[in-house]
Amino acid sequence: MKLTVFNGSPRGKGGNTKLYLDHFLRGFEASEGNTYELAYLNHVKNQDKFLQMFREAENVIIAFPLYCDAMPAMVKTFIESLKPLCGQKDNPSIGFIVQGAFPEAHQYRYVERYLKKLASRLGCNYIGTIVKGQGHGANEMPKSFNKPFTMFYKLGQIFGKTGEFDTELLRKVAGPEKLSKLMLAIFRFLYKTKIGTKYWDDRLKANGAYKKRFDKPYTREV
Amino acid sequence: MRITILNGNPNKDNQGFNEYVEKLSEALTSQSHSVRTLQLKDMDIRYCIGCFGCFDKTPGECSTAADDSREVRREYINSDLVLFASPIIMGYTSALLKKPIERNLGLLLPYGAIIQEETHHPARYDKYPQLGLLLEKNSDSDDEDVEIISDMYMRDAINFHATLCFTKLTSEPIEEVINEINCI
Repeated sequence: MKLTVFNGSPRGKGGNTKLYLDHFLRGFEASEGNTYELAYLNHVKNQDKFLQMFREAENVIIAFPLYCDAMPAMVKTFIESLKPLCGQKDNPSIGFIVQGAFPEAHQYRYVERYLKKLASRLGCNYIGTIVKGQGHGANEMPKSFNKPFTMFYKLGQIFGKTGEFDTELLRKVAGPEKLSKLMLAIFRFLYKTKIGTKYWDDRLKANGAYKKRFDKPYTREV
Repeated sequence: MRITILNGNPNKDNQGFNEYVEKLSEALTSQSHSVRTLQLKDMDIRYCIGCFGCFDKTPGECSTAADDSREVRREYINSDLVLFASPIIMGYTSALLKKPIERNLGLLLPYGAIIQEETHHPARYDKYPQLGLLLEKNSDSDDEDVEIISDMYMRDAINFHATLCFTKLTSEPIEEVINEINCI
């Protein structure tokens, strides 16, 4: 199988999207004869090349982080460039990977609905959307992400054989749709403690910005 | 009421949309609202590159690009209502409109908070504007698209400590948009 992958992370090679994609693609490559090409949508000047790759593709995966409850603007720019391809007969099959820091899968379901409609708008066979929340720290602590990474490998492996996303794995990798009452209570508590603010406080301190953490630079002077 | 309209129409040939926004702005002004329209097409607003500098380097401010997104943030946070205005392009609002919305991340604090039984970011400011959505349907879009976009902006409103008060179409009379605004 031939696959064309668009990494839509504004952070490109430095983002969490790449980590998940790497595992997915290693699984995909486990089947003999499977090959892929990969483009980074944060190279925003390459729109013509991206469109050409999409035109020539048999199967497409677009992966991106959730930005303000939608695809990043960079990804939307790419989607707008696909407009001339709407309804063309030989459009590729298309699937998506959406990841982010917010833990509950529910937060990703709205953009998922958009993506499904996008596939039908283009006239593409819709492979599906892999939703993965709770990606906070994947870059800094990759070892604690072994479980989801393994699931991405398996998703890629099965996709590489069947051209489909495994339904059971989709459900598993997404985790809970909403946080349970217990989890909500724990989060509520943690957010009020030093444990809950540690990640950002450490970074603020390292940047010498801790004292300014509550600044309101846009408050209009009365 | 202090109102900011973010006009995300990227297409200079689509003057009908701009005229609708202009008429709306004039009508609101005549009802003694204070209205400012930002023509995003004429502004220099870069893509968010996800550096999180607005969280941990220069809290509340973008540490990467000192561009016109500063103007958007200033108007946004000091408004009572922000109206997102865009033609529907490939089933969503324009990339042109999405750019400054992402660059608004620093209007929030980096930490976590439980809001409506979900994880979100706590407020950095004391007050956030309510939100409205003005869309233009075209031959390529249907009611389902409007619903999908509206739902996604409803989600974005939760993140930005606001409510999406209405979604209106430019095929509807301007008076109806004004009615919605006066009901807030």
